[in-house]
Amino acid sequence: MALSCRELWREVSGYIDDSISPALRKQIELHLSYCRHCAAIVDGVHNIITLVADGRVYSLPAGFSARLHARLRKEL
Amino acid sequence: MRSASKLATATILETEAELISRILAGEPDLYHDLIAPYERMVYVSVLSILRNDEAAEDCAQEAFLEAYRHLDQFKGESKFGSWLVRVALNEAKMELRRMRPELYESLDKSMEHEDGDYVPQTLGDWREIPSEALERKEVAQLIQGAIDRLSPIYHQVVILRDVQGMSVADTAQALEVTEAVVKTRLVRARLQLRDLLAPVLKDSAVVSRQAFKKGKNPWR
Repeated sequence: MALSCRELWREVSGYIDDSISPALRKQIELHLSYCRHCAAIVDGVHNIITLVADGRVYSLPAGFSARLHARLRKEL
Repeated sequence: MRSASKLATATILETEAELISRILAGEPDLYHDLIAPYERMVYVSVLSILRNDEAAEDCAQEAFLEAYRHLDQFKGESKFGSWLVRVALNEAKMELRRMRPELYESLDKSMEHEDGDYVPQTLGDWREIPSEALERKEVAQLIQGAIDRLSPIYHQVVILRDVQGMSVADTAQALEVTEAVVKTRLVRARLQLRDLLAPVLKDSAVVSRQAFKKGKNPWR
């Protein structure tokens, strides 16, 4: 049975994380081949994950490490 | 590749286990080495609760001290990193309850709306990531700003899984929820982020869907 858009949205993380069965992956890819809306969603989510994983998002404040280790040296 | 990465993980776990035994046996200075890989993870985790840079730094320091005081309670049932994040999140929740009790209450309330599907917006194609996007500071700030707009339960899961690259299993252990809950929250969080960011970021070029058809992730 063909996968609905709503069913695909629930699986979008698993599809990108490669944690779904080959059968479900095949169904998703079939759906993506004709549904432009879901294809845009999958591409968008993938791009978001790539951007969020970049180390420059949420970098440590300058001097964080030095202050932390100075305090540990004082209190350990 | 995967077996090399498993080997590396096993080596890290053995090294951590050895460091912990030596610290507990009277070599406290080794604690600096033990926690060095987790500084950002702990800071960002407490930031996800406190949402304030200064408070998060103080709380992260307290969390590292608290973890040191209770290191003998770490039994190795989960990874040290997951245990440390759990200690840090508890520390941050206690701090939030002390400083902003009204926000502490809302941490639990945000869990009431987990039923039903998240319906993503209809937006134009966004096949590729702008090539210079990652080099631009304002893009990092835009992404951070969007993550900060997520409610606490989604914020935490994105921080641990997508910012820190923790596995679903480790994220579940750190947050003390099931893997199924992590997966449900993750898909909602990622769809919300896409809805928030796609309209402002979708301009041009480098990664296509072909690149992850075989399940390639940015963390691997």
